[in-house]
Amino acid sequence: MAGRRVLITGVGSYLGTELARRLERDPEIEYVAGLDTRPPRVKLEQTDFLEADLRNPVITKLLPQAEVDTVVHNQIVRRPGPGMSPQAMHDINVIGSLQLLGACERSPTVRTIVIRGSAGIYGSEPQAPQFFTEEMARLYPLRTRFQRDVGEIENYFETYSRRHPQVTCMMLRYQPAIGPGTDSQVTRYLGLPVVPTYLGFDPRLQFIHVSDGLDALVASIKNPLRGAVNVAAPGTIGLTKMIRLAGKASLPIPSPFFPAAATLGRRVGAFSSLSPDFRRLLRYGRAVDTTRLVEEVGFRPRYDAVAAVEDYIRTQSGKRIVPTFRDLVGVS
Amino acid sequence: MSVRPGDPSVRRVPPSWAPPRTPPTPDAAPFPLGTALAFLRRVRSGVESGSDPAAALAAAVGGLPADAQAGIDRAVHRLAGDYTEDDWGFDEEFAEAVFPLLEFMYERWWRVQVDGVVHVPSHGPALMVANHAGIVPWDGIMMGTAVLKEHPLPRYPRFLVLNWAFNLPYVSFMLRKVGGVVASPYNAMRLLEQGELVGVFPEGVKGAGKDFKDRYRLQRFGRGGFVEIALRTRAPIVPVAVVGSEEIHPKIGESALLARATGAPYFPITPTFPLLGPLGLVPLPSRWRIEFCEPIPTEEYGPEAAEDRGLLFELSERVRDVIQDKLYENLVKRGRAFA
Repeated sequence: MAGRRVLITGVGSYLGTELARRLERDPEIEYVAGLDTRPPRVKLEQTDFLEADLRNPVITKLLPQAEVDTVVHNQIVRRPGPGMSPQAMHDINVIGSLQLLGACERSPTVRTIVIRGSAGIYGSEPQAPQFFTEEMARLYPLRTRFQRDVGEIENYFETYSRRHPQVTCMMLRYQPAIGPGTDSQVTRYLGLPVVPTYLGFDPRLQFIHVSDGLDALVASIKNPLRGAVNVAAPGTIGLTKMIRLAGKASLPIPSPFFPAAATLGRRVGAFSSLSPDFRRLLRYGRAVDTTRLVEEVGFRPRYDAVAAVEDYIRTQSGKRIVPTFRDLVGVS
Repeated sequence: MSVRPGDPSVRRVPPSWAPPRTPPTPDAAPFPLGTALAFLRRVRSGVESGSDPAAALAAAVGGLPADAQAGIDRAVHRLAGDYTEDDWGFDEEFAEAVFPLLEFMYERWWRVQVDGVVHVPSHGPALMVANHAGIVPWDGIMMGTAVLKEHPLPRYPRFLVLNWAFNLPYVSFMLRKVGGVVASPYNAMRLLEQGELVGVFPEGVKGAGKDFKDRYRLQRFGRGGFVEIALRTRAPIVPVAVVGSEEIHPKIGESALLARATGAPYFPITPTFPLLGPLGLVPLPSRWRIEFCEPIPTEEYGPEAAEDRGLLFELSERVRDVIQDKLYENLVKRGRAFA
C-alpha cells in the first residue's frame, strides 16, 4: 500500500507529536495531518496542522477535505490536565470520539481507524484473572467515570465497525505509560516525596514503556486488525518492588481512610490528584495478556514490565539530590 | 487389619528408589539471645570509643556469625527492591524464608503423615484436587509443604484461593508470594499451560463454610470446571484427601450480620472465634493425614472432550468418589483428632 494518508488527533500530546514525526519520515506514508487545539510539541516540517476542537462539529467538514485513508484517534484524556474539569474530560472523550466517528462516516476515503483506548475498561478487581484477554472487557461492572467513558467509546466504535464493514476498526487498549519524557499518573505518583499505598496490599501492576507504546501504534497503523488489542509490557511488577526500586518511602494507609487521605493530600497541595481509577489500581492492580499484540499485530515490546519501570527510574536518578537507600547500600 | 493411630505400619513408606531421608536435625536453636546481646554490646562499645553510629553498626555486623550476616545482607537487598517475583507474584525467596514456619506447623503442630506423594508428577502440568475447609487455605499450604518436604523431586505448587481472600490486607499478597492465585478458570488454564502443578478445591465456598458436623462430607463439585480445564490442558488429575484440616476451625454457627458488615461470603463462629479475637484465628492442633491418590490421566480423551458435559460430570464424580473413599479410610487410620 503506497502513499497512505494519515490523520492524527491529539497531535499536541507527547505521543501524538512523536507519532507524526515518525510517520513523516516513513516512505510508505504520503501525507500526515495533525488535529488538536494545542500546537505540536516541536515544529513539524511536513505535517499539516489542523487547529480544531474535537468537540466542535466543524471537524465533520475538515476531515473529508483532508482525504485521508487512516485516522488515528489519540485524544482520549486519561487524567484531567491543569484547569480541566471532569466534565470537560468526559466531553472530549465521549463527545469528541462520537464527532470524530461521525466525521469518518462523511469521509468516503477512510479505510482504517485506530483508536488509542485504555485497558481501564477491564477495571481493577480483587477477583480478576491475572491477565485479561481481549474478550474479557465487560467481566465486571464499569465503576468509575473514566471507565464508563471508555466503555461508551468502545460501544460507539463497535456499532460503527458493524455498520461499516469496509472500514478496519482497531481498538488499542493501552496500559498506563511510563518512561522518560512522559507525564502520566504513574510518573507523578512516583515523583511524590512519600508515596501513599494501601496498607497490606501489594498489587501486580503492568505498564507500557513510552517508546514501545509509540512503536505499537506505528505497527498497528501498518498492520491494522479488526477488534481490540491489548498493548502492554509483558509480565507484571509488584507495587512494593516498584517503590523500592525508585528508592521512595511509602506511607501505608488503611483502605477505609485512603480516599479521605487522597483528598487531604490534594488540598494541602502534596499531590495533584489520585483518580478513582488509579486508586483502584493501587489496591488491586491489573495486567493484560499481550498474545494478540505479539502474534497478530507482530509487535513485541522491547521492555518487559520490570525493565520499563527500571528505565524510567534510571532517567530520573540524575535529577535527585538526596541519595536513595539503593545508592547507600550499593545495590546496582 | 485394624490399625491403631500411631502404629508404625501406617507411616509413609518411601519408594525404594527414593534417596534415603536424612534423619530430622535436632531442634534449631531458639532465638539466639546471646548473639543478639553480644551484637548490641559491640555497637555500644563502638559508639563509646568515638566512631559514629553508622560505622559502629557496620563494625558490629562484621562480628556476627556468617549466616546472620547473609540474612541481613539479603534483607537489605530486598529493601532496595532487589528481589524477583514471577508474573503471578510468586516470590521464591520469600517462600523459602517462611518455609521453617510451615515446617513447624507441618511437623509439630499438625504432625502430618503423608501417603503416596510420588503420585504427584515431578514435572509438567498436573491438577491436584482436594477437599477444602476454612477461609485461610491451610490445607493447600500443607499440601504444598508435603510436596516440598516428601517428594523426591520437590516443586513449588500453585493453588487457587477463594477470591475473597484477595480483598484482605496482608493475606492478599502473602498468599500470592507463596503461590496462591485467584480462583478463576482463566488462571488455572494459564498456569497449567505454563506447566505448573496446580491445587484446586472444587467445593469452593460450600466447602470452606462447612459446619463442623458435616466435616469430611464432600459438597457438590461445582459444575466440573476443573475437569474441563484438565481436559483442555491434558493435565493429569491427582485426587488428594486431606484429613485433619476440617477440625482446625470447628464451625458451629455463622453470623449473617457480621458477614454483611465485613463483605465476607460467610462469617464463621467457632468455639474460639470471634470470642478470643485474633487469638481465635490460631488453628487447633488436630492430627493430619494427607493422601495423594493415583493420578487420573486425561490425555486419552483429547481436548475436544472438554465440550462433553456428560464426560465432565462423570469424571468429576469419579474424582469426588475417590477423595470421599480416601477420606473415610484415612479418618479410620488416623483415629482421634486430638489425642
